[in-house]
Amino acid sequence: MATQIRSGNRFRNMRIVIVDYGMGNIKSISSTLQYLEIKDVLFSADYEVLRSADKIILPGVGSFAKAMKRIRDANLDIILEELSVKGTIPLLGICLGMQLLGLSSPEDGFNTGLGFVDGIVTKFDSSACKIPHVGFNQVKPNLSSRLYISLPVFPDFYFTHSYKMNSDTNIHQSMCEYDQEFVASFEKDNIAGVQFHPELSQGNGLQLLKNFIELF
Amino acid sequence: MLRKRIIFALIYSDGYFTQSRNFRLQRVGDLKWLEKNYQFQKIASSLDELIVIDASKGQKSITSFASMISDLVNDVFIPICAGGGIRSMQDAELLFKSGADKIIVNQILLQNPGLVRELISNYGSQSVVASIDYKQVNGINEVYIDNGSSKIPQRLEEYIRYVELLDIGEIYLNSIDKDGTGFGYDFDTINEIARHISKPLIIAGGAGNENHLIGGLAIKEVSAVATANLFNFIGDGLPNARKKIIDTGVNIANWSPVNS
Repeated sequence: MATQIRSGNRFRNMRIVIVDYGMGNIKSISSTLQYLEIKDVLFSADYEVLRSADKIILPGVGSFAKAMKRIRDANLDIILEELSVKGTIPLLGICLGMQLLGLSSPEDGFNTGLGFVDGIVTKFDSSACKIPHVGFNQVKPNLSSRLYISLPVFPDFYFTHSYKMNSDTNIHQSMCEYDQEFVASFEKDNIAGVQFHPELSQGNGLQLLKNFIELF
Repeated sequence: MLRKRIIFALIYSDGYFTQSRNFRLQRVGDLKWLEKNYQFQKIASSLDELIVIDASKGQKSITSFASMISDLVNDVFIPICAGGGIRSMQDAELLFKSGADKIIVNQILLQNPGLVRELISNYGSQSVVASIDYKQVNGINEVYIDNGSSKIPQRLEEYIRYVELLDIGEIYLNSIDKDGTGFGYDFDTINEIARHISKPLIIAGGAGNENHLIGGLAIKEVSAVATANLFNFIGDGLPNARKKIIDTGVNIANWSPVNS
């Protein structure tokens, strides 16, 4: 199986930069990318380094408010917009990193996000379900999605979060259900986001990351 | 549908992994032993999550614990929760940097709730698991801290309410009486209190075979079952148990296998 999931030599020269703004499970993501034989995995918030990336990953653990402040303090909002919205470098947001790509969140007071996609973050309803939503849950992939190629029909991914994103517009969202439906992932041109943690989701997660690396 | 989880808890003490029985620790082997006898990556592909607890007595070295974690997590694509002896933000930060995806805390829940709040504010409540050890004395569930050595005044139900109010992410509830016995979980207590718990509940203590795991997973309010029993699940024990559990129709996750 590993030979199928690993990328072989095709990505020998690929550079993936994980955005370093002090909030993320960087070790799990980087060791997963190394397992996929990405030779050049860097952590940086530096414009020149990010600009040299073939793909950018925006991780995130912690509070939305704190994360947006750190991102703005480091001018990463402007840099990422230039490189991945106006530019074409593929960008993948993971967990909080996905939520940051949306319009706003009420976590620790109302805050605007990066606004790269039309998604609104709200909290799960504690009267209807236990918070956080934690564990593997099945995703219902959008049929137009590139992220789920070669995966089972309703693949399991590992989630751990108290806030969720919803969107009224078509951002090629794939959905998950916990009390209510919410966005498990989206992809809009070269920008994608996953609410779950592919780096903690066994072979399913490796395949999804490989899809992002190969197809975006 | 949200799946239930099977979690393995590794109990670490002074450089070794141990088998605990009623919180008395017996050394089993070091990381090399674990890899040799457990083929850890293979085991990990049968698990939803791994918890690693430093139960070293006396002066703990968080640095050597963290360095073991960082060796353990390579090529393992599941969430790792680490703890045992976290007394400061720096301790937690070191574990996160070493590859922990969550931390598990016990003593500071009672002795330093301010630090627990600070950890939650920094890493989010979903990153902080509250470990609660209890023992039944004259029919009353009493809570113990400090590796099960000190009794606290609060009874179990009361203490759970208190911990929930700290807004921790999950509760890891461990029966000292059942710990390491292999006789099955403390189903009487769990059935009595699980429905009153508002946080995801992980039960631990007593699982000796897959039927115990199945029994725990069958309780509606239980989110995850944990076992720390190195002896009973050695070799193909865990992969076989997971397969049997899936075959009985229990709601747990499926994924593509990862081999190395």
